[in-house]
Amino acid sequence: MSEINFTSLIIIFCVAVGTYSLRVSGLLLSNKFVQYKKVNQFLEYLPATLIVSLIFPAIIKEGTVGLIATIFIAVIMYKTKNVFLSMFVGVLIVALSRNFI
Amino acid sequence: MSMNNDLRNGFIANMPIGLSVFTYGSVLGILCVQKGVTLHELIFMNLFIFAGSAQFVMVDMWTSSLDIIGIITAALMINLRYFLIGASLHPLFINSSKTEKFKYMHLVADENWAVTIDKAKRQNITPLFLFGGGLCLLFVWSLGTTGGFLLGEFIKNPADYGLDFAFVAIFTALCVNMYQGGKDILPWMIAALFSVTCEYLFPGKIYIIAGALAGSLSALYLNKEEET
Repeated sequence: MSEINFTSLIIIFCVAVGTYSLRVSGLLLSNKFVQYKKVNQFLEYLPATLIVSLIFPAIIKEGTVGLIATIFIAVIMYKTKNVFLSMFVGVLIVALSRNFI
Repeated sequence: MSMNNDLRNGFIANMPIGLSVFTYGSVLGILCVQKGVTLHELIFMNLFIFAGSAQFVMVDMWTSSLDIIGIITAALMINLRYFLIGASLHPLFINSSKTEKFKYMHLVADENWAVTIDKAKRQNITPLFLFGGGLCLLFVWSLGTTGGFLLGEFIKNPADYGLDFAFVAIFTALCVNMYQGGKDILPWMIAALFSVTCEYLFPGKIYIIAGALAGSLSALYLNKEEET
């Protein structure tokens, strides 16, 4: 039924090996550079700034509705700490705007 | 004994966020059908790559003639952060053997990492807590993506339901959770500005790394000002 294509296997294999190497090497090499305070500060900020960079261009592309949905998600998340609820409301706003506006 | 408890506690602690992971996993499953990714390919990605955002990007780039280099580069670029996530786990693995490190690191994702870091601030935990969370996520991720794949046969246009926005929505929520106070605002704004500018100027996914580097480096400078 669903045939496995050789090219797709190569892609999945390379990404899998690469991703695992990144995960393990980060941990194994960490003792070499965590002694530097600057590096620690840098690492502390990296996850959040990565996420911001990952999502912000997508929000902008979505336009005004994207911004409104994002504000709702942020406020609900801040108040309730409920990821699912926040996501649901955000998706709902985008869906409603696409269907009714 | 407390070791086994850590595995179980980690699993349980990730269940609330698991609900969201399940949901956006099902979105990915639906997209797979639209893009012609087979169920086997999806399952291989889940098991061997196990990285939601990279899988989203891969599926997004999936076409009948696959751009091998392009897809691999984009996926690994997004996953570059795992190097830093791995490095940030240094204190948790301080008493662990190499074997344990090799065993537990594969199932590290953004969500169980965030839950573990948060927990470690308040309580003494072992890497098994992280691994238990990883098992929970692998379970819900597999369930969600496979379910979405099966459902995908019936959903002709996922964008009508705003499903393509689910990924952005969940990461926005996770980001809010990481907010630690006013000192974050400026570095985050710099990251946002850089990512949007680079996305406009350069092809591919380089804007993610560019924004993150700009934001984090600016934080170093701004914090230095704070200290003096």
